[in-house]
Amino acid sequence: MAEITVIICSLLIFSSIVFGIIRLVIGPDTVDRVVAIDLLTIVTIALIALLAHHMERYIYLDVALVYGLLSFLGVLAVARYLEKGI
Amino acid sequence: MSIPVITLLTLVLCAGILIGGVLAVQLNSIVSAVISAGLASLFASVVYVVLAAPDVAMTEASIGSGLTTMIFLYAIRKTQGED
Repeated sequence: MAEITVIICSLLIFSSIVFGIIRLVIGPDTVDRVVAIDLLTIVTIALIALLAHHMERYIYLDVALVYGLLSFLGVLAVARYLEKGI
Repeated sequence: MSIPVITLLTLVLCAGILIGGVLAVQLNSIVSAVISAGLASLFASVVYVVLAAPDVAMTEASIGSGLTTMIFLYAIRKTQGED
């Protein structure tokens, strides 16, 4: 049962990464690419948590925690740049 | 059954690193190029986790994807770069 759950989550994360990369490639504006990279960051945090469950090494959750904090700051810096803030 | 799924995800991540590198070279907008370079760093961090190196992944996530983007944007603003 847990094995089926891992497979379903992997397929959902796979499709999310593919659609995010498609939007990043064809996005006509810079703002589209910022939103696409934000989506990919959130999906990546979910992927790291899934890997921590699958490999049964829960120290990997610290990587997801650090990444969640810093990706927020990165998107915030890009938004401040686009509004002539920095 | 679960090993091909993780292999599939790893292949997608490596393809994402390649796409991010090509976009960082090819795009005209300079902010889009910086964001694409951040994508390559983001996926490289996850590949480090798959390769069982969480400390390298944490360093790559904090410096490569977080700090580099901010410093690039700050430098572009300071040198009056065009969008």
